[in-house]
Amino acid sequence: MGCESCSGGSCSTDGGKDGLPPGMLQQYDLNQSTADGGLVWIETVVQGDSIRISDVSVQLLGKLRKMSDARLFGVLFGGPEVKPLYDEIFSYGVDTLYHVRTRGPSVYRPEVYADCLADVSNRVNPAVILIGGTLRGREIAPRLAASLSTGLTADCTELSMDGRDLLMTRPAFGGNIIATISATSFPQMATLRPDIFPMPEPEIGRKGTVIYREPVCSKQKEIISSVMKKTSEIDISKAKVLISLGNGVRRSSVETAERIASKLGGMVSCSRSLVDKGWMPMSRQVGQSGRSVSPDIYIAFGISGSVQHKAGINSAKKIIAVNIDPDAPIKDVCDEFIVGDADLILEELDRRLS
Amino acid sequence: MKFIVAVKQVPDTTKIEIDANGSLIRTGVPSILDPYCEYCLDLVRRIRKDGDTVIAVAMGPDQAKEALLRCLEMGADEAYLLSDRAFAGADTYATARTLHMFITKVCPDYDLIFCGEQAADGNTAQVPGELARMMCVQQFYYTKDIVSKGDHFEVTQDYRDEERVCVAQPPSLISVSEGDINRYVPSISQHIKAKDKEIRVLNRIDLGLGMYSVGLKGSRTKIVSSRTPDVGSECETIDGSDPSKAADRIMEVF
Ligand SMILES: Cc1cc2nc3c(=O)[nH]c(=O)nc-3n(C[C@H](O)[C@H](O)[C@H](O)COP(=O)(O)OP(=O)(O)OC[C@H]3O[C@@H](n4cnc5c(N)ncnc54)[C@H](O)[C@@H]3O)c2cc1C
Ligand SMILES: Nc1ncnc2c1ncn2[C@@H]1O[C@H](COP(=O)(O)O)[C@@H](O)[C@H]1O
Repeated sequence: MGCESCSGGSCSTDGGKDGLPPGMLQQYDLNQSTADGGLVWIETVVQGDSIRISDVSVQLLGKLRKMSDARLFGVLFGGPEVKPLYDEIFSYGVDTLYHVRTRGPSVYRPEVYADCLADVSNRVNPAVILIGGTLRGREIAPRLAASLSTGLTADCTELSMDGRDLLMTRPAFGGNIIATISATSFPQMATLRPDIFPMPEPEIGRKGTVIYREPVCSKQKEIISSVMKKTSEIDISKAKVLISLGNGVRRSSVETAERIASKLGGMVSCSRSLVDKGWMPMSRQVGQSGRSVSPDIYIAFGISGSVQHKAGINSAKKIIAVNIDPDAPIKDVCDEFIVGDADLILEELDRRLS
Repeated sequence: MKFIVAVKQVPDTTKIEIDANGSLIRTGVPSILDPYCEYCLDLVRRIRKDGDTVIAVAMGPDQAKEALLRCLEMGADEAYLLSDRAFAGADTYATARTLHMFITKVCPDYDLIFCGEQAADGNTAQVPGELARMMCVQQFYYTKDIVSKGDHFEVTQDYRDEERVCVAQPPSLISVSEGDINRYVPSISQHIKAKDKEIRVLNRIDLGLGMYSVGLKGSRTKIVSSRTPDVGSECETIDGSDPSKAADRIMEVF
């Protein structure tokens, strides 16, 4: 079994061509060292006919720009349909954009994406590589880290830079411990949890350079089918207000909570128990095996506060819990802990809002 | 076919509690086989046929034998513990490197490697991708189902916004994200049979790894500091026995 299935460089199109348009080298500032730069995978999201940059990629660019003024590299995958995104990418601070060009829209393949990112990384030799902590980002990042023989810190919630050194902070043990981690090798790599860092202001009109790359030819896996799920499915990770229900509420409270949430401009989420009971779809589950959420206000009704559940709410700004048990473990992470009956309080809220 | 299942022993995080100072109470917290690894063993049990071999491997202290025993009860045929004082403090890179060496040395003729999506203690989900790259095989994350098709497999992956079915050609790595939350209860006879099986222990020298390839020294990241989150102390407890007052309180927040 050879290594041809993921040869990180042997079949790339290095050799000076690079698809550089004539004259471009003059614009490329070769005097600036790239060794302190940051590299970001620009993840794209397809919505119907349109394509946009994922929020977390923008948040990463903003964060990197704020931490250092070193050169910022972006890597973008796709065909002609992603070209309209160039200006926006530059407006968030990218200096040099590597566009890995495919004929049509790029099909996500973790092996190919990781190899292409490794290929660019080997060229520009960045000090830092940041990847959004989305499902796909978290799949690519470890593969990329292993190809670069470097370290990786998952799902960070804080980042800071001390000279060239990156300090990465992340919750572990379901948020019961917050660890700060540094890398012992370059490039320093981290995935970052979405929606922790603010969306930066774009600098309209800012310019940068685009360099085309051909995808490196990893052996491709056969995709038999790919079904995009309906986007009508509610995305709780973006909600500003979450009314969250657990095992301590009765079934009729699900409807009550939906009414309250819609009045407050929020959404209803839940613990795993309600998914197991079949009262709520998986997409509403908060926690380690569900979603990580970061609302302004999270109100937990009848949720005990297991480690797995708390893992999903440690970036909520304010947490209120209603529980009949004065010692429920969720108390440890709350700002306000109301000892009382969840169903009755939900009914009362519903009455007031209608 | 030969299946390798990489398993990890973790503290039972459903039983972890926090003391008054906000520190983790570790004493008395039982160690268990990571739930995602159980899902792996469940999936493997479904696709294995007579004559197939299932090999469980864990890197960890001697105590991790318990997790391997559980694997044997759940149908693994062989179990290996990679244990050495030098392995301590390994980050995901050093862990993947050690597992990589084990597979290369002991079972290079494998068909599929199974990993849990993420371990309950660290939730990094990094070892599978790192290991797949080191083994130079394709990776299938977020797998919720796998079907045997003779010489290859069909894997269903759940990316939340997309459900994919892919062909997994051996050798490949499968990272499993879903399974039955109810823990599998082995029969008495499975338990007795498992007890009779040997758990082989391999150390750094057996694997032919250098001091600087493993454990803390072989790690690419290091923990600078750790703390417990500073929440909870200012938590206000409110009497909510009167629903109307409780509702007032919540409305005030808005
Ligand atoms: C691998 C793995 C992954 C997991 N992932 C997740 C995850 O992502 N998300 C998740 O949530 N869980 C997850 N779990 C499950 C988790 O361990 C807990 O079992 C679950 O979170 C418990 O849900 P709960 O708090 O709703 O229920 P319970 O623990 O049963 O708590 C119910 C609470 O309601 C209170 N109560 C009862 N009656 C009332 C009343 N009338 N009014 C007010 N309060 C009342 C009780 O005091 C209690 O505190 C996972 C488990 C495993 C093993
Ligand atoms: N020490 C270990 N020994 C064996 N397998 C491991 C070990 N650590 C992680 N793994 C495997 O990698 C998966 C993901 O773990 P992690 O990357 O730590 O979240 C686990 O479910 C295991 O399959």
